[in-house]
Amino acid sequence: MNKYPLRREIDLAPFRKEPAETTRYGLPLQVGFCRRCVISNQRPNSAVEYAHTKDSRKQTINFDVEGVCDACRMAEQKHGSIDWSEREARLRELCDRHRRADGSYDCIVPGSGGKDSFYAAHVLKYKYGMHPLTVTWAPHIYTEWGWRNFQSWIHAGFDNFLCTPNGRVHRLVTRLAVENLFHPFQPFIFGQKSLAPKMALLHRIPLVFYGESEAEYGNPIADTQSAKRDWSYFTAQDKTGIYLGGTSVADLQESFGVDGHELQPYLPANPEEIERQKVEVHYLGYYLKWHPQSCYYYSVEHGGFQASPERTPGTYSKYNSIDDRIDDFHYYTTFIKFGIGRATYDAAQEIRSGDITRDEGVALARRFDGEFPERFAEEIFRYLSIPEKEYPQASRMFEQPMIDRAYFDNLADSFRSPHLWKYDQGEWKLRHAVWHGE
Amino acid sequence: MESDLANVRLIARLDIKGPNLIKGVHLEGLRVIGDPQEYARRYYEQCADELIYIDIVASLYGRSKLTEIVRRTAYDVFVPMTVGGGVRSVDDVRDLLRAGADKVAINTAAVRRPKLITEVARRFGSQCMVLSIEAKQQGPQQWEVYTDCGRERSGVDAIEWARRGVSLGAGEILVTSIDREGTRKGFDIDLTRAISQTVSVPVIASGGYGEPGHLRCVVDAGADAVAVADALHYDRTTLPQLRSAALASGIPVRRI
Repeated sequence: MNKYPLRREIDLAPFRKEPAETTRYGLPLQVGFCRRCVISNQRPNSAVEYAHTKDSRKQTINFDVEGVCDACRMAEQKHGSIDWSEREARLRELCDRHRRADGSYDCIVPGSGGKDSFYAAHVLKYKYGMHPLTVTWAPHIYTEWGWRNFQSWIHAGFDNFLCTPNGRVHRLVTRLAVENLFHPFQPFIFGQKSLAPKMALLHRIPLVFYGESEAEYGNPIADTQSAKRDWSYFTAQDKTGIYLGGTSVADLQESFGVDGHELQPYLPANPEEIERQKVEVHYLGYYLKWHPQSCYYYSVEHGGFQASPERTPGTYSKYNSIDDRIDDFHYYTTFIKFGIGRATYDAAQEIRSGDITRDEGVALARRFDGEFPERFAEEIFRYLSIPEKEYPQASRMFEQPMIDRAYFDNLADSFRSPHLWKYDQGEWKLRHAVWHGE
Repeated sequence: MESDLANVRLIARLDIKGPNLIKGVHLEGLRVIGDPQEYARRYYEQCADELIYIDIVASLYGRSKLTEIVRRTAYDVFVPMTVGGGVRSVDDVRDLLRAGADKVAINTAAVRRPKLITEVARRFGSQCMVLSIEAKQQGPQQWEVYTDCGRERSGVDAIEWARRGVSLGAGEILVTSIDREGTRKGFDIDLTRAISQTVSVPVIASGGYGEPGHLRCVVDAGADAVAVADALHYDRTTLPQLRSAALASGIPVRRI
């Protein structure tokens, strides 16, 4: 296995070509934007992160013949054809089937204590009479307000298990996820998906409620025909097929000096056990008409949830995904890889929810998308650094274990795709943006 | 419609976005409430002392001002109107005043270019130059000025900015507490007191009204006027109820 180099050489020729001829990650060569929201056809669907390597090809959001994305079609059903009272009746029936009156928990609600998980746990307990146990997979680095909101959630009446992975290992996996996939948020996703089913097994609570369905953001609509989540997100049949940060488990152990037990938090639940204990994972968003803004109001009203004290870099919003300091970088990397920044994601959701208009969304994307997240940059670079003192073996795998802005920028450039970016007079420019117009 | 200067003014605040009246919590999660003109008329009929119309996202979206909406409202609403949002120049102020505004409120553009306050005051008089301050608490007795609908930090101290704004020509100060805005937990009393003790011009307290008892506290802290939004838009109270509550607690307000 080769070392990660100090500097990656970038062939600029494809970025000067007009028109662009090459794409990466299996993204569609023709770039287009949904006519209703502002999302582009480059948006990758959620996929099974255990199989994610640098050679993975993405499935992307579907646009129909009218140029409307699946997420907007889903929103159409949500505001139109879906019979929500029938869905709620099914939720009551599900709750009735699982509710326990013997003083034990009857469902697991994973979450951060953000507005959506606050709402989910709170309605299940106080409206549907369930006895939820909440479980939390810790952010990489808490923001102060994220920690306060997490505490407010617990103090609104919930027991909680917080699972915090070993900081050294988490930093290493995050560094590898950045080097291999330019995906600093990936290590969080492992726990976000696997913790709840594992806790369900451990505590013998066979019902797990997630909040919104991924289809609300553009995963194939077929995903939403059932309230249950696809087990491939949570379990794995074969552990040799598991990659963390784009690195095989064997490699993590042999080349990076990670011990087997240190990988426990990342590994998925055992599918046979899941089958045996009949654990069911449901989306609450399938049963209740989910509206992120209403969750915000609800959590302020019932738990003193607080918006962050400033907008998140790269967007205009203050109320969603605000608890992890690495999140700013997550959306910066999606901007580099897919040309989609945080403002676009936020605006697309708010347009579908009827909170803002498309024109407003375009203006917001234009103003904020792709803004470099200065505020926590130094701290994140330190977090991603793998000094010899702390990592005697793993540090040898990096020509430059320490990350600084120049290193990060070079890495970013190495993940740009020529069909999205052009290099013009010393500057990177998007070839296509929703604000360029049709 | 005579009003005694010593009276505490009860102001209905309408935050506008595009064609809609909207309302948020901590200036976030902006929810569409309805047609601003309809609400403005209702508050006028309920004898509001003044209206505040602010396109709170004008700067955020880089949009221009509310001229059209103000013109339509001024047609059948006859109480003083303070209008703000996206006001960046003397010309913008002139357009709004011509459309029927009585005063303009400026936040973001004044923070970026404080001289604008002086330009507006010289041209149209201090009485129509309202300095709008969105403030968020940073520590005990310490508040920071925010711009762009409570999203951008400015690094400017709110109390110091109020003092400077008045010395540059502001004739009134509208203070919005981001911490309290939309929460119904009561006004930021310390903030209101700190500002009204610092400046000699009238101070409008905004953000946090939830129940009648909140009026007494904020007036005692030195507010010359009180702006209410959430409680009125969501029909949790009416202006006549507010007025009676104020009178009952000994606050001098205009008697209808």
